[in-house]
Amino acid sequence: MALAKLEQLSKSVVQGPSLVTGAQPTKDWMDTPAIFKEGNFAYPAKKEKVEYLNSQDGLNFPNARIWSPDEDDWKLPEGWEKTIIDGLKERLDKFRSLKIFMDCCVRCGACADKCHFFLGTGDPKNMPVLRAELLRSIYRNDFTLAGKLFGKMAGAREMTVGVLKEWFMYSYQCTECRRCSVFCPYGIDTAEVTMMLRELLHLVGIGINWILEPVSNSNRTGNHMGLQPHTFKDNVDFLAEDVENLTGVKVNHTFNRKGAEILFITPSADVFAEPGLYTAMGYLALFEQIGLDYTWSTYASEGGNFGLFTSNETMKKLNGKMYAEAKRLGVKYILGGECGHMWRVLHQYMDTMNGPADFLEVPKSPITGTVFDNAKSTKMIHISEFTADLIRHGKLKLDPSRNANVMPTYHDSCNPARAMGLMDEPRYILDHVVPKWVEMPENTIREQTFCCGSGTGLNTDEIMELRMRSGLPRANAVKHVIDKHDVNMLSCVCAIDRATLSSLMDYWNPGCGVCGISELVGNALVMDNEKRAMGYGADGTESELPDGFRTMV
Amino acid sequence: MDLAEAFRNYEDKIVDEWVDYTLSSYKSSTFFKKGPDKFANPVGGNTREALAKLFKLLSKNADPGEFTEPLDQIMRIRSIQEFSASAAVAPIHAVKHITREILSKDEERKQFIADLYDFEFAVDLAVLAAFDLYMQCREQLYKVRIKEIKTGNHILTDSKCPSNLLKKDIDGLENLSVTNDLQDIRGN
Repeated sequence: MALAKLEQLSKSVVQGPSLVTGAQPTKDWMDTPAIFKEGNFAYPAKKEKVEYLNSQDGLNFPNARIWSPDEDDWKLPEGWEKTIIDGLKERLDKFRSLKIFMDCCVRCGACADKCHFFLGTGDPKNMPVLRAELLRSIYRNDFTLAGKLFGKMAGAREMTVGVLKEWFMYSYQCTECRRCSVFCPYGIDTAEVTMMLRELLHLVGIGINWILEPVSNSNRTGNHMGLQPHTFKDNVDFLAEDVENLTGVKVNHTFNRKGAEILFITPSADVFAEPGLYTAMGYLALFEQIGLDYTWSTYASEGGNFGLFTSNETMKKLNGKMYAEAKRLGVKYILGGECGHMWRVLHQYMDTMNGPADFLEVPKSPITGTVFDNAKSTKMIHISEFTADLIRHGKLKLDPSRNANVMPTYHDSCNPARAMGLMDEPRYILDHVVPKWVEMPENTIREQTFCCGSGTGLNTDEIMELRMRSGLPRANAVKHVIDKHDVNMLSCVCAIDRATLSSLMDYWNPGCGVCGISELVGNALVMDNEKRAMGYGADGTESELPDGFRTMV
Repeated sequence: MDLAEAFRNYEDKIVDEWVDYTLSSYKSSTFFKKGPDKFANPVGGNTREALAKLFKLLSKNADPGEFTEPLDQIMRIRSIQEFSASAAVAPIHAVKHITREILSKDEERKQFIADLYDFEFAVDLAVLAAFDLYMQCREQLYKVRIKEIKTGNHILTDSKCPSNLLKKDIDGLENLSVTNDLQDIRGN
C-alpha cells in the first residue's frame, strides 16, 4: 500500500512521469536526444559578430545567420555533414593528440565522477568519458575499420542533426577545466576534445554570443569589452587616483611607452569590473612602491583569450597581439596579471603558435635579480611568481593586520593550477599578507581544484541555473570552511573567477566575498611616504580604513 | 516497545531508503548513491546529511522551525536542478511511505503504524517548508542574475562602455543617457 503511494508520488503532478523511478535510464545514451529550452543554452552568436569575424584574415566563421537552439531548424548550410567530417579529418591529421585521444580511451571511468558538471547535474553525458564519446562515436564511424564494419555495435554512429545538437549542448557544458585529465591514467585531455567539438561546430555556424562578441571586440579594439584606447586609459587613471586617495602616494603609470623594461598585461575585467578593480589597484600600488619600469598597453589591453574557447586560429591571433606589442614597444619581457586561461594559452600553446619569443629577454626581476628560467621560452611571468619572489627577498614591507577584516580561503583557479602549476606562490603570498587563512578540503584544491563552473565563456546570465549546478562542488567546499573557520573571502588569481565566483557565492554562500591575491597584497603594502586615508569608528576613534581599496569605489 | 523505539530501531534503514529514493531522481545516480565523500560527491553527501538530520527532527516531534537548516541544505541544490517544483519537493514527502512500508514488514512493530499521525503531520509541515525554500531559492537565483547584470560582471557583451555606445549611436549621442565617461569623451 505504502509503496504504491510512493510510486504515485514519483509521477510529477503537473508534468507526467518524472525521473523518480529508482531505475537506471531506460534508453541507450545514443537514443536520448538533447532538448533545448530557455535556461539550458547560451544564446547564439549575433549575425553581425559572426560576419565581422569571418571577414578577418586567417579566421573562418561561416554561415552567419539569425537562429536559436530551441528551434527545430538550425539553418545549417547545405552539405554540413561533409563539412564536419572533412573538418574532423583535417584535425585528426593536424593534431596527433586528437588522434591518440580518440583511440586510446579504454573507458575505465576514472574521469566519470570528476567533472563538476556531472556532479552538479547527474547527467551521464557530462561524464567526461561520455562527452568525449559524443565525438568518438563519429570518429569510429568514419575513420575506423571496426566502426565501418560493425556500426553501432562498435560504438559508432552517423553524423546527424541530433548528434550535432548533442555536441552543442555538451561542449558548452564543459569549462575545459581539465580536472578529469588529472585522473585519466592515459592523460587524455578532455578539454582538447571539447575544443575540437567547438571548432567543428563553428565550421557550420554554431557558436555562442558570449564568446564570439568578446572575441570580435578583442580583435577590433584589443579587449573583451571593446574599450577604445582613451577609455582604457581613463579607467586605469581612475584606479590610480583611488590608490592615491587611499595611500596618499601618487601613482606614476604609463601607457604604450617605448623602451619600458616590462610590458604589463592583465584581463580587462581588472580595469573595468568589480571586484577585479581592487586587484588592479593592488598592481598599481605594488609597481609604484618598487619603482618598476613598466608600461600598460592600450593595444594589448586584454590578457584573456577567448580564442581558446573558439578555434586554434583565433587563439593564435589574439595571443599574437601581446607579443606584437612587446616587440613594438621594445620591452625586455612581459609581466602578466591574475588571469586564468591567458596562462593556459601561454604555457601550453603559445610556443608552438607564436613562439619562441626570441626578440625578448629571459625575465629577470629588476628588484631581486631573480632570473625566471621557467619562462625562458615564452618570456612572460605571472604576477604571483613576481610578487612571491619580492616577498622572499624581503623587498616588501607588509602589514597583514591591514587585512584583519578578511578571513580568506584560496581557490586554485583551474588554468594557473593545472595548466602552469602555479599553486605555491599564491599561498606563499597569502602567508605574508593576511593574519590567517585556511585551506579548503584536500580533494578540492591544488591540482584537484573544482572549477568556478562558468569558465570558457559560460559566464553568461541566461544559463544562471546551469552555472549554479556546475559551481556546486566548489561552493560546497567553500561552505565547509565558512561553517568551520568563519571564512568570509574567497581569494583567487583569475578574472573570470572573480566575476563568476561572486555570483556563485551570492547564491550558495551569501556574504562571502571574492578577491584577487594582488588586492590583499596592495592592502597590506606599507608604502614609502604613505599617508593613509583615515576613518572614524562607531566610537569616534580614528583608524585606518579597514576595507582598504574597497572603500574607494 | 513504542513508536520511538521503532524509529530508533529503523532509523538507519529508513534514512538509507529515503536517500536512495531521493537520489534516484537523477538520471545517473549510481555515483551519487555510492560516493562516500561529501566534497567529491556534493549532491549525494549533502542529501544524505540533510535527510539524516531531518529524520531525527521529524521522529522526535521537534519544533518545525528546526527543519529549515537541513531542508535548506537539500532544497538549495534541488531548486536549481532540472526538476519541476513538485519533483524537487516530492522526495521530502516520501519518508511517510517508506516508514509505513518498513514498519508494516515488522510483525512486532506494525501496530505502531496507527501512531504515525504526529510524525506524518511533521512531514507535511516539512514539505510545506520545502516548498517555501524552493521559492526562496528561485527568487534568490533571479536576484543573482539581476545583480550580475547591474554590477557589470556581465558586460563582455552589450556593454555600456562608452566606446561601444559611441559605435552604436554616434549620431544620436544627445539622446543617450549621459554617463560621466561619455561626458569625458565629448570633452565636457
